[in-house]
Amino acid sequence: VSGLVRKEIDRRTAIKWMTGMAATVVTVGITGREAGAELAAPAADATGTWPNLDLTPITGPGYGTDPDLVRPKTLWPLTLSEAEKRLIDQLADIICPADEGGPSAVAVGVTAVIDEWVSAPYESQQADRLLIVPGLVWINEEAQRRFGKDFGQASDAQRLNLIDDIAWWGDPTPDELHMPKRFFDKLRQLVLGAYFSSPEGVKDIGYLGNMPISGPWPGPSREAVLHLNGVLESLGFEPEPLPAG
Amino acid sequence: MAEFEGFAYDVVVVGSGAGGGMAAHTLVQEGLRVLMLEAGRDYDPLEETPMFQTHAEAPLRGASTPDKNFGYFDATVDGGWQVPGEPYTTADGTKFMLWRSRMLGGRTNHWGRYVPRFGPYDFKPKSRDGRGDDWPIDYDEMAPWYDRTDKLVGVCGDNPGLDNIPDIPEGVMQPPPKPRIQEILLKKACESLGIPVISMRRAVLTEAVEDGRSACFWATNCGRGCSIGAAFQTTTSLIPFALKTGRLKVVTDAMVKWVHTGEGNKANAVTFVDRKTMDDVRVDAPRVVLAPSATETARILLNSRTEQNPQGLANSSGQVGRNLMDSTGAGISGQIPALRGRPRYNEDGHTANHYYVPWWGYQDQADGKLDFPRGYHFEFGGRFGEPNIYSGGGVQGYGKAAKQAVRDGYGSGVYLSLRGEMVPNEHCFCEIDPDVKDKFGIPVLKFHWKWGESEIKQVEHGLEWGAKIIEAMGGTVTSPQRTGEEAILAGGQIIHEVGTTRMGSDPETSVTNKHGQTWDVDNLFVMDGGVFVSSPHQNCTITIMTLAMKNATWMAEQIKGGRL
Repeated sequence: VSGLVRKEIDRRTAIKWMTGMAATVVTVGITGREAGAELAAPAADATGTWPNLDLTPITGPGYGTDPDLVRPKTLWPLTLSEAEKRLIDQLADIICPADEGGPSAVAVGVTAVIDEWVSAPYESQQADRLLIVPGLVWINEEAQRRFGKDFGQASDAQRLNLIDDIAWWGDPTPDELHMPKRFFDKLRQLVLGAYFSSPEGVKDIGYLGNMPISGPWPGPSREAVLHLNGVLESLGFEPEPLPAG
Repeated sequence: MAEFEGFAYDVVVVGSGAGGGMAAHTLVQEGLRVLMLEAGRDYDPLEETPMFQTHAEAPLRGASTPDKNFGYFDATVDGGWQVPGEPYTTADGTKFMLWRSRMLGGRTNHWGRYVPRFGPYDFKPKSRDGRGDDWPIDYDEMAPWYDRTDKLVGVCGDNPGLDNIPDIPEGVMQPPPKPRIQEILLKKACESLGIPVISMRRAVLTEAVEDGRSACFWATNCGRGCSIGAAFQTTTSLIPFALKTGRLKVVTDAMVKWVHTGEGNKANAVTFVDRKTMDDVRVDAPRVVLAPSATETARILLNSRTEQNPQGLANSSGQVGRNLMDSTGAGISGQIPALRGRPRYNEDGHTANHYYVPWWGYQDQADGKLDFPRGYHFEFGGRFGEPNIYSGGGVQGYGKAAKQAVRDGYGSGVYLSLRGEMVPNEHCFCEIDPDVKDKFGIPVLKFHWKWGESEIKQVEHGLEWGAKIIEAMGGTVTSPQRTGEEAILAGGQIIHEVGTTRMGSDPETSVTNKHGQTWDVDNLFVMDGGVFVSSPHQNCTITIMTLAMKNATWMAEQIKGGRL
């Protein structure tokens, strides 16, 4: 079910080119997968259907067309339940744990960002809510089916057994996993996006801008040009002169 | 002289953006007194610009929403692709998008500040390829005005010495910034294909000027506006400069709906709706300059129809609203594996492309080697930008590996934005919608649009060469395979709409003469993009401003000489 070998990009992922981010096949770490692999692979019929929650979209005023840009405020009520937020915490810990580069997504408050996101009275965010909220229900129902308990009560290995089935766009994806995969894809994007756009994430990824500089723009660092020259050489182009220093 | 609220004036200027701001500034410098009417609210960039605020401080991490189409921090007030209570309509089968803002300074508060001037070929397109029309002016006539405008606006750039990119005299431009890592790679890759890559001329000060504006400090996106005045907008420059003389009065929240004419078919008054009270206010107008944007000018003229002018004001030619043009637009994205995980440094620069790809096919077109008549350029994106809510896209899996994949991919993507010239065609125009009015009761515009074969073939050429460029950079194209028809963006989407009151030398086929003076009403001028005869691929705003300066100077001479 989990498409262990080949991880291809489907059409949906291909559309991510619009974000300007890398839409390449990623070599995925295997720590979680090995843990999951110790369990018997679930039979296909163990996977349940996507919950039909009949959610009413959140409407109402947004921040309007002339909000205060200097002192920004979020004006709409948050809507996720405590249980939903706990479950997002648990999933965010799997998606974006603490590592050498920076803290975990949960530690920088991504769950509150996701609550703000799915509670926003805008069409695009409401479309995302129709993935996130039913997806959380699906995760628990699926954990109940597989392990007889909610996701939160499942062991680490059990959790990964489940997540491994929805974390890659394999080919083919069984119909019953299509929506769960879309859910996880959206949640992962929000968790990683909220993490890397947080002050801690900005530091982690190494964004060094938003700092005023006097005088002419200094240009690329010596280290950056040295690296570029390696790239230029591999393409048969002349190297760039190194900046002083 | 007329008078409004105790202020005496010679000219009413409608609009405060690129055209209106420059028209008013020029008239005031010539000693005339100007009443400026702006449809939007007052706006103060010193107080209102979000300098240095991070995405994390904004709702939804600053993401685009229906309220703020270009993101939370974009310097657009009560506008975007829709303005509340002020719709526009489109004909069946038409895709057209109109960007407006309702603020002093208009769209100059957020624009890209790309200011490549038109070259000699661009004023004489029909002479070159037989299509469209020639302008009634040429580059040589424009050159000194471009110099004066560039100098006043504050432009950084250099002289690459290429075909149809005129050299600018010493002392006009300020130095451009150095290229970023990806831009160096772009240049080497393009040169291996025989394509030039040059500095983008941009309306950003790289050195301080004596009028109080500061040099760029290489941080915080220009699209938010610029409280230090380094990135040009009329609200930190032309308007405050003109106000300082005491000869300009600005009235905001003044939505102009009619220009009135009287004896001898001369304009004599303007009616606007006061946005706050919703009342009609009629002000005397000895002379009128329209510069509320190309399409809004057409709307005012068409709505100002009377028994004497049944087709609308200044429209005996029937050309008002016709010849609507935008730039063509399409995007190609790529990923450069060798740049994954590259060393970090502060790459903000002036926050837009330092280098770009100018059109390189003039000679091939002259030699008949290409199957489309007009050129395009590629604007270039790709740097260590401030991370946002979409920065986690494009990875699979989870855990430390997924987190690392985001870090590795950071700064390794590239983006080529095609911006090209379209040939005007009879299917692209706007007219008054007979059924729909805005919240002020003013009939709205209805748009008709169809790209021609020239544009589709041009975009196909761009898709092919964009892919070659990305591959020459050692990258792979990540945007989907598309036809020209699929890739071309909607009319209006590049926000370069021009041409709806074009200038010409024949009153039968044009709305104004070469001075922007309407043929039918001699004290009524158009000084926005409406007067464009063609829509060269070079971004339009610097030419709007240059024409406004040139034509407002001529207008002032006529007034002072007693001829107007």
